[in-house]
Amino acid sequence: MLSTRTSAMSEPAANARGGRRVPGRGALVAAVALAASLGLVACSSSATPAADKSPAGTSSPAGSSSASKPANAKRVTVTWFVGLGTGADQGQPTAEKKVVDAFNASQTEITLKMNVVANKSAADTLATQVAGGNAPDIVGPVGIKGANQFDGQWLNLAPLIQSQKFDTSIYDAAQLSASRDRAGAQTALPFGVYPSFIWFNKELFDEANLPYPPQKFGEKYADGREWNTDTLRDIAKKLTTDASGNDATGSAFDPTKVVQWGFDPQFGEEGPQYNGALFGAGSFVGADGKTAQIPAPWLAEWKWYYDMIWKDHSAPSQKQLQSDTLNKGNAFETGKVGMAFTHTWYLCCMKDSKEKPQTFWDLAANPSYKGKITDKLHSDTFRVFKSTKHPGEAFKVLSYFLTNGAPELLKIYNAMPANQALQAGYFKSLDATWTQGVNWQVAVDALQHPDIPNHEGWMPNFNKSNDRIHKFGTRFLSTPGLNIDAEAAKVRADLQTLFAAAK
Amino acid sequence: MTDLLESGFPAGLPSPAGNSKAAPPPRRGRSRRTGLLFVTPWLLGLLLFYVGPMVATLAMSFTDYHYIDETGRGTHFIGLANWRRLVTDPQVAHSALVTLKFALLFVPISMVLPLGLAYLLTSRHLWGRGFFRAVFFLPAIVPAVSGLFVWRGFLSAEDGWFNRILSLVGIHGPDWLNTQQWVLPAYGLIATWGVGNAILIFISALNGVPKDLYESARLDGAGAWGLFRNVTWPMISPITFYNLVLTLVTLGQYFIVPFVLSNGTGDPDGAAKFYTLEFYRQTFRFYDAGYGSALAWLMFAVVMTLTGLLFWSQRFWVHYEYQERR
Repeated sequence: MLSTRTSAMSEPAANARGGRRVPGRGALVAAVALAASLGLVACSSSATPAADKSPAGTSSPAGSSSASKPANAKRVTVTWFVGLGTGADQGQPTAEKKVVDAFNASQTEITLKMNVVANKSAADTLATQVAGGNAPDIVGPVGIKGANQFDGQWLNLAPLIQSQKFDTSIYDAAQLSASRDRAGAQTALPFGVYPSFIWFNKELFDEANLPYPPQKFGEKYADGREWNTDTLRDIAKKLTTDASGNDATGSAFDPTKVVQWGFDPQFGEEGPQYNGALFGAGSFVGADGKTAQIPAPWLAEWKWYYDMIWKDHSAPSQKQLQSDTLNKGNAFETGKVGMAFTHTWYLCCMKDSKEKPQTFWDLAANPSYKGKITDKLHSDTFRVFKSTKHPGEAFKVLSYFLTNGAPELLKIYNAMPANQALQAGYFKSLDATWTQGVNWQVAVDALQHPDIPNHEGWMPNFNKSNDRIHKFGTRFLSTPGLNIDAEAAKVRADLQTLFAAAK
Repeated sequence: MTDLLESGFPAGLPSPAGNSKAAPPPRRGRSRRTGLLFVTPWLLGLLLFYVGPMVATLAMSFTDYHYIDETGRGTHFIGLANWRRLVTDPQVAHSALVTLKFALLFVPISMVLPLGLAYLLTSRHLWGRGFFRAVFFLPAIVPAVSGLFVWRGFLSAEDGWFNRILSLVGIHGPDWLNTQQWVLPAYGLIATWGVGNAILIFISALNGVPKDLYESARLDGAGAWGLFRNVTWPMISPITFYNLVLTLVTLGQYFIVPFVLSNGTGDPDGAAKFYTLEFYRQTFRFYDAGYGSALAWLMFAVVMTLTGLLFWSQRFWVHYEYQERR
């Protein structure tokens, strides 16, 4: 250091101008300007340009009026945010990029850009983008809960459906209706549906010499009993075994050494409303939109499931679910759970650690509760943000996703097509992966019993209310000895406070 | 210091040119501009990414600003409402208490443990000191989130290694991460992985204590404790002070561990809901950015005050061999 200083000091003596060369005022101003512009560029790099020039596309999608435009016309940039639902898992972004490339090559008006964010941070990222005035144009695929997190932000598509003559007859009227928001606006169009049903492990049923559950809705169990939640609970006990091989119906059964469970509402830690929907449809908010309530079927399910965990020991607790034995929550895939209650999207997880498909399972009908069958329904949609500067172009992209791009996207997301014409191809592709001869008709039939209102539906103060419900869910799964009635009353009271605080 | 910056050479020393009278007088204005030129990018960064956002959050703390404006009601000035709310909000008191309780574990783990280990690792009697130093520092180079996933498996109640080890000595380990009374001790265990840097700093401080001081003290009859109390401790007290300030700041920013291990919820039952997590939840989960800003500023004020107190307390326990030039 000293030598450097010495050198610097000696220079002025030798300099004819009698001093060190220092940058002049012009250089100083230039440097400040450069630094400022660098800062501004850094700040604005994520902003969406209104339009950019790009090479000519090769062809125009059917029905597009852009075919006659000159090849060097300015293309509008439409941004697509992926990750609020599925879409950011391993392998998915690469496949999505191919869809983007195909769309960009198919026309000359729009450049589609994709922004993929991991699901866990997607809501935070999207919220920050919205706050920064940098919201994307299109979001999806996104489920009902994800959409409700951004309630009030979605564009009503009805005028665009009309002006661009989008054919909605490809959808079932009920599905179209279910894609409206609480104010009745058509903020989404159906894309993928994920009905739920019972998944059962054939090998465990065979080992226990138990007949398989029925595959037709409303059909009785093989022993003549109604296929209802009582029957399911009874069978679950018979499928539950300890390390010595005793099942949970016998006195020799050791509940501290369970190695195989009869039932798990796969990923049940998502929230009590997810589990409750097995017993019936419901909502935490009353018809007036402000009164908190606990739907009676849900309360009944909570007691039923809680007793299965802590009394029967036929369903795993939080501690057991987080173990390696149950693959950190991906319980049914381990082959140590007899029955699970989950959706078609669970196909994501029915592969072993080497990505080899598990083939020990098949599908069965949902059990009834008090004579009524309910299908807990999830659905994915693509939505357009209200703040978009290019609604027409965004809707063109959305239309492409729902028509020409749909087969590829549905495959990426393991989604059952809402467009019924595409369903046969979808199941055929599944059979190529899961070769054991799955009865996919169960999934189709389940759609006849959708939970309306949906368990993921809107409620006031949505995020805080969900947080309170989730807290109860965690307590439920990890704490023995709870009085579920009292806990439910506390949840209702807290929700009422949160609903009242909603502005 | 100012002289050094302006002339490039310490004041009072002869000019390297050999004749101080021959050197031209320093052009203070130009030199200052040159200095400013070099620090301009940093200053811009500071203004744009630190000072600007800080001022913005202070302003936001007086508004009802929400990231996602569900009802389209807009943002309004609400005076001190957010500040009054955080004083009465039970969640804030709870999260502050969780942070305080954890501090009782975290501060000793971050100070006493590395000092003790540094003492051991500088012992003449320890074989393979370099190896052990590398081993203790190793966790510091593992990415935090990856390390936490390993810890989650290690502390798993059903089949985690830690409980398996405990069972070998007849102890039935608890469900560390899912029971209220054990989650903070579990986080304390995890904190032991973060002492590598502090160990290194203490090792360099211990090695910097002049040997002749020890020899003199021994001649005066000092034993092991006397050597530590009267020689080592005063000589390493500036480094201890430095580590303590860092520990306090780290505690104020303690976020990644509870965020990853509880998925941002603060579970079990709020027992791991640290203050930073409450700030995160209000701001990014509930989009209540106005209130979140007030929470952030409160934490900033608390950490600043405590750091100020620490600096004030130096005069009572920190020994400096030199005095700063005034």
